[in-house]
This record gives sequence, structure tokens and C-alpha cells, in this order.
Amino acid sequence: MARQAGELFEEFQELTASEFFRKNKQMLGFSGKIRSLTIVFHELITNSFDAAEEAGILPIIKIDLQRVDKDHYILKHIDNGPGIPEDFVTRVFCTMFAGSKFRNIQSRGQQGLGCSGCVLLSQMTTGKPAKIISGYKENGKLKGVQMTLKMDVKTNQGLILDKKEVEVTETGVCIELQFKDVSYSLSEQGAFEYIRRTMIANPHAKITFRDPTGHKYIFNRATEIIPPLPKEVLPHPRGVTADDLIFMAKHTDKRRFRSLLTSSLSRMSTKRVNEIEEMTGIDLNKRPKDMKWDEAEKIVELFAKMDFMAPPTSGLIPIGSDQIEKGLIEILKPEFVTATTRKPVTYKGGVAFIIEAAIAYGGQAGRVVGEQRKAEIMRFANRVPLTFDQGSCAITESLKSIDWKRYGIKDLENAPVTVFVNIVSTNVPYLSTGKQSVAPEPEILHEVRQSSMKVARKMQKYLRAKKAAKEEEMRSKIFETYVPVILREAANLAGTSVPEYEEVLAKVTRRAKAELLGETLDE
Amino acid sequence: MNKKEIATNKLKSLGTSIIEDVTKNKVPNIQVPSRGTSNIVFDEQKRHYVLGDRYGKRSMGNVKQIKKIGQMVYMANFCKDLVQREKTATLRELYYVSEGWDVEFGDQQESNIIGEDLEVTLGMTREDLGLMPEEDGASVYGNITLQEDDIEINALRSGKSGYTISPTIDDVKFLDHDVKRVIAVETMGMFHRMVQEEAYKKFDTLIVGLKGQAARATRRFLKRVNEELKLPVYICNDGDPWGFHIAMVIISGSAKLAHVNHQLATPNAKFLGVTASDIINYDLPTDPLKDIDVLRLKELLKDPRYRDEAWKTEIKKMLKIGKKAEQQSFSKYGLEYVVDTYFPEKLESMEN
Repeated sequence: MARQAGELFEEFQELTASEFFRKNKQMLGFSGKIRSLTIVFHELITNSFDAAEEAGILPIIKIDLQRVDKDHYILKHIDNGPGIPEDFVTRVFCTMFAGSKFRNIQSRGQQGLGCSGCVLLSQMTTGKPAKIISGYKENGKLKGVQMTLKMDVKTNQGLILDKKEVEVTETGVCIELQFKDVSYSLSEQGAFEYIRRTMIANPHAKITFRDPTGHKYIFNRATEIIPPLPKEVLPHPRGVTADDLIFMAKHTDKRRFRSLLTSSLSRMSTKRVNEIEEMTGIDLNKRPKDMKWDEAEKIVELFAKMDFMAPPTSGLIPIGSDQIEKGLIEILKPEFVTATTRKPVTYKGGVAFIIEAAIAYGGQAGRVVGEQRKAEIMRFANRVPLTFDQGSCAITESLKSIDWKRYGIKDLENAPVTVFVNIVSTNVPYLSTGKQSVAPEPEILHEVRQSSMKVARKMQKYLRAKKAAKEEEMRSKIFETYVPVILREAANLAGTSVPEYEEVLAKVTRRAKAELLGETLDE
Repeated sequence: MNKKEIATNKLKSLGTSIIEDVTKNKVPNIQVPSRGTSNIVFDEQKRHYVLGDRYGKRSMGNVKQIKKIGQMVYMANFCKDLVQREKTATLRELYYVSEGWDVEFGDQQESNIIGEDLEVTLGMTREDLGLMPEEDGASVYGNITLQEDDIEINALRSGKSGYTISPTIDDVKFLDHDVKRVIAVETMGMFHRMVQEEAYKKFDTLIVGLKGQAARATRRFLKRVNEELKLPVYICNDGDPWGFHIAMVIISGSAKLAHVNHQLATPNAKFLGVTASDIINYDLPTDPLKDIDVLRLKELLKDPRYRDEAWKTEIKKMLKIGKKAEQQSFSKYGLEYVVDTYFPEKLESMEN
């Protein structure tokens, strides 16, 4: 018998964000044992970095990973950031979509899911609460609080199981979480490699990591310079949708739509607004709240046809070629390293981005496979390592399109090189929710290619010089070895004594060197 | 000047030219005649292959060439010592001796090549330089008396396998003989047949068992008996392209040894058989030609050494009948037949 709508709707319910993600943890990146742990590292490290940098502190992070049992770990993560005031602790760790990053700003963290996601995963796999110690300053006084928290997924809020004041020596946050169904791995996708790559792109940080075997790794900082904080930039007209316009219209304090446009979008002059008014016939003097959907649509369509200045790039903070080189030298101890930072450009006509590329050769560059070092590609987005979905990423695609033979590398797979690419943007175009691969926008492919070829050319120059020096050394050694021997034997053969041969030796050595340099010497 | 003095002087001159260049502050170089195929030409007058006049320069100022110069000079010193002490060494021994030198050889192949370089550069055979091949030469049976050092040897009294030609054949003196000709045969089977049937008596001949492709010493021996003792040389091999060519290398030399062919080739030597005509005339048991035989025969047709009409006719005839025959196939008519019938008939037709 058919049921009535009312009956059906008795089962209708609303999910909180926490409930939703409890059921869909893969959307937070928690899929697979190795990947889940890497994502936890990523979220905690990223948050610590952002917090420290915002407070103007050089980040120091201590991580301690203990194995309790197979696939069961206790993770302790301590940073030296500004700490979290007591009242905010539960919101940071137990409420999904709480955070300060919902702006058009270049940032590492992306959704505000990070810390609370980790707490959720811990709780789902072990049922254990999170232990937090926060040291922070209040009115110039150092305060410390220790809490044991659980997340109430039904309400998307934290439950404090235990709370007490503690003595702390400095600001910072210490979080202890337990996980099951995760796995620590030294593979390219594993947590260790994540830290190593993070250090290359963040040479101003220091990370100490104790792995499950008790081995302590210390990654020292290679520079003392804290990256400048990115500024928020107004969205570019090419980058907004009709929905964005309506949203802006609803939340603005401007009284006319015209002034809303000029104040909320970049590169929007009065002249441009007048043009829009003329071309669409919409009265832009009306109140923003009166803006209709089809009017907004019309305006957005017009944006696509109008010429705007490229978006401002003041919001983009690249790592800088100097810093990248320092990071690579510190971690890889390469024989040769070079980096480049491209000028900002845009994709889709309105989203600014910067590509940075670097190449390291020799030393510990490349990944060890068996006895051999093979090439490795390190992809980053806003300094964050992208370790998954390498195959579908625009960076990989672009690097593979380069004819490496032209740069003295017979085959990229088997060369001891590390190729580093970082994309800096307020809006990195990811291919999927996992945010691990960059969409193949033509401009991005082009920039990656150009920048990588530039560093590859420099490496080729180095390799050539190295080869030439080696050959020269070998050549003069050959002469120095053979000339005396030949003359001794020839004199013996002729039945005479060995003549002075310094001049002839100098002559042949010089000639060999000239040959090497492609010059011709007169007899 | 005797051979020893010539060899010593030539070896010395190699050292002298290098020392003189250095004294004049010039970068020494050695001119090595090229042994590339384009520099090997057939000399119609001499009737064997000779080297052309192209040569390569080895400069002490060249990284790739300096090592070879070093190897050559070292080897020349070693040879000079051998010649002066009247000793010989094999190429293999030379290779092992070189282990103690300040320039080394990667393998024996490399040292063999430097040996050839030295031969062509000085225009001497390696035997002249005291370097001997590994293998002994052919067996000789018949009434000839030779002197090796202080020992006299009669090839009729050296056992049934006869006298074995030594690699140092150039130092052997011919003392006496009472033969009128020399017959060289490809296989030892035929050699022993001829010894048993007393062919040496019947034809007043020396019997030479080549054992396949003739060694350098064998070819020197045949050339010497032909030129010093004025004895005609006949060669009797299997009736196939390979037999033909064993004869031809004795007659006109090989391309590979173009630089020493003047000391190895015996242009007056004659091919007695087995010819394609013999196969037909004596109705010999045959095998069909294999693809590789046909290919080889066609190659021989293009070879300048086979430019004689007689050769061309025989090669074409063999291609036509598509058959080949071994020396021993005469036994079809009894073991004695080859000595009683075949040789007398052939020798008569060739000497008249």
C-alpha cells in the first residue's frame, strides 16, 4: 500500500557537517591507510605553519608517531605557534567549517576541515578522545590549558570531557590523537616523504620527527625569513559567477549596485561600470538587494566579453627562487641546484597564478629504487606537497612533454634529479575534491613547461661544464702518463737518451684543451 | 745486410723519428698505411693484393692515438729484443708479456692489431720481427733435406706424417732435394693416401698436407720452394668454392694480409683440381651445392683474383651442374685410383 508523503517525510532529517563527513570521510582525503595518515600530517602541519606565520613566528614542529599495534598509532604533534585561546579550542578541533580562511586569499589550508577532520578520524577509528594542550598569551600573560575533547557529530560541536589549567613555558599547541586503520610508510605517498617535501617548500620551518621505530629525524631550517603574509585581493570580474554577484549583493553595505561593483571587484573602474550600464541597459543605480538573477547573469556574460586589466598579483606570495634553492640544498644536498620564479599570469582570463620550478641534480636528489637513483617529480600548490594522483596532474603532464634529451638527460625516469614545481594562486584549479592534482589549464601547462625548461637549461650547462672538466682532467692525465713512457721507450728503441720534452708535453696538453673547447690552434 | 740487421734498423728508425721530432719541439706522429678495404688493391703485375698508398697519421698530440703510439713503441722494443736475441714469441706470449708494460692492451685482439700496425708501418712480416703464429704449418713428405739450426732433416725420414713446417720457416735452409714438383693437398686423408701409394716416388714430388686453409708458414714454404728451388707447385683440394679459395689464397694472397702478400703469395702455383670438369669427366660421386656454396661461388666470380678465363669457366660450370665433390670421392674407383690414374692424367695435361 502506498505511503503518504507525510509518512515519508517523517524520516526526513538534516545532517550536520560532522555527520556528513563521518559518512563520507574519503571526501576529507581519508581513503586508504597510507593516504589517511599522510592527510593527518598534512592538516596538522599546515595549520601549525599558518598559525605561526600569521603570528610572525618561525615555525618549529615536533612530531612523535608511536606504533601501538599493527595499523594503530598514537600521534603527538607540538607546534610553537601563538596557541589557541581556551574558548576557541573546541571550535578549532571539533567544529567542521569553522576557521578564518573563507576569503579570496592564497593559503595552504583550504576548507576549514583540517583539524576537526583529524579529530573525527581519530574518534571514528578508535573511539578515543583528543588530548589538547594550548599555550597562549592573554593580556600579555602566558596561559596554559589542557583539555580532553570529543566531537559530538550530531551537533557538530565539541564535548569537553576534562579541562584543567596547566603550566606552559611557551605558546603553542600540542595535540595527541590515536588512529587505527592507518599505516606509516616510507613510500612516495607516505607521511615521511610528506614531511621531507614540506621542508623543501618551507625552508623557514624546523621539524623534528620521531618515527615509529624511535629514529629521530631533524629537519633544520635553511632560512630565517618568514614568508610575508598574503593579502586578500578582490576577485577579478572574469572569475565571478552570477551567484557570486547575488551573494555579494545580499551581504553588502553599499547602497547602489554600481558602488558594490567597484568596491567588491578588482579592475572595475567607473568607466567600466558605465560601459556595463550602457551595454546591458540595466540601471546600476538601484539598490544591490534589487538585483535580479537574470540581470546578474547578463552582467557576468558581459564580463567575459570586456577587456580588463589582468588581476592584481599583490596577493600572490611565491617562495622565491633563493628560498627554494636553500630548501633543496638543505634536504637533498645536491651537486647542483637551480630555481626560477615566473612572473604572475592568469588562467581562465581572471585567476592569477605564479609557477616556480627548480631542479636538483646529484647528491640525494631523485628517489632510490633498488641500487639506482631515479627521477622524482615534486609537485606543490601554495607550498603544500601534492603527493597523490600524480598521473592526472597538469604539472606531471607538462614535465613529460619536455624533451629532456635536449638538456643532457637521456631519460628522465633514470636520472638522479628532483624536479620541483610549485603553483601559487588564490585559487588553484584542482581536478578533484582530494586536491592532489592540478587541472590542465593551457596557461598552467605553458608556464610549467617554460619554467622547467629554463632550469633544465641551467642544469644542462652545469652538466656540460662538469663533463668538460672531467674530460680535460682525463686528457691531460693521459698525456702526462703516456708522453714520458713513449719517449723512454722510443729512446730505448733508437738507442739514444731521452730528450727534453717539457715543451712538447705542454704543446699537446694545450692542443687537447683547445680541441675540447672547439678551437683550432696553429701548428 | 741480413734479415736481422734489416729488422733491427727498421725498428730503431721508429724510435729515432720520434726522438728527433721531440728534439725539434715537434709533436711526433707515425704514418701507418691504411688497411681499410678501400686501400687494398689487386696488383695485376704482381698478381696479388697489395696495399694502396693511403695512410693514417697517429699523432702523440691526440688523446685517442697517443695510447696506440705507446703500444707500438713498446711492442717495437720487445721485437727488437727478440730479433737481437734470435728468439721468437707467439702473439699470445706477446699479449701476456704486455701485462707488465706501462701501456696495456684491453685484450689480445687489440695487441694483434697493433702487431699488424707495426708490420705495415715497417713493411715487414711479423715473422721478421720475431712474432710467430700459434699454429704449426703443413706436413711435408718427400725427398728434401732441410736444416733447422744445427739439425738436418730429411722429409722422407721424418715418419709417416712427414716434416712439420715450423713457424720459423724463414730461418730454415734448403740443403738438398731430388724432386721435380710439389703437390699440396687440402686434407691429411689425401696426404696419407699419397704417402701409402708412394706418390712421392711415382711423381718425384713433395707431398704437402695443408690441413685446410694454409698457415702463413706453409705459404712461405710453398713460395720458397717455388722461387728458390724453381719447383712447380700444384694444389689439389675439394671440388667446392672453399677448396678453390684455399688454392687461391696460396696463389694470390689474401686481402687481409695485403701488406705482406709479396712474401706469401705464390703466383706461379697452379690449381690441379678437383675442378667441375673433373666431376663430369670422372663421373665423381657428388653432393648438391648448398645455398651458401652458390653464394660463395658467385662472390668468387666477382673477385679479381679469379679473373682468368679458366677459373671463370670452372666456377660457372659448377654453378650449372649444381654439384660439388670431395677429393676422396675418387675412391669410388678404388683407393689407388687417385694416384694411379687421376694424378698422372692431370699432371700430364698441365705440364704439356
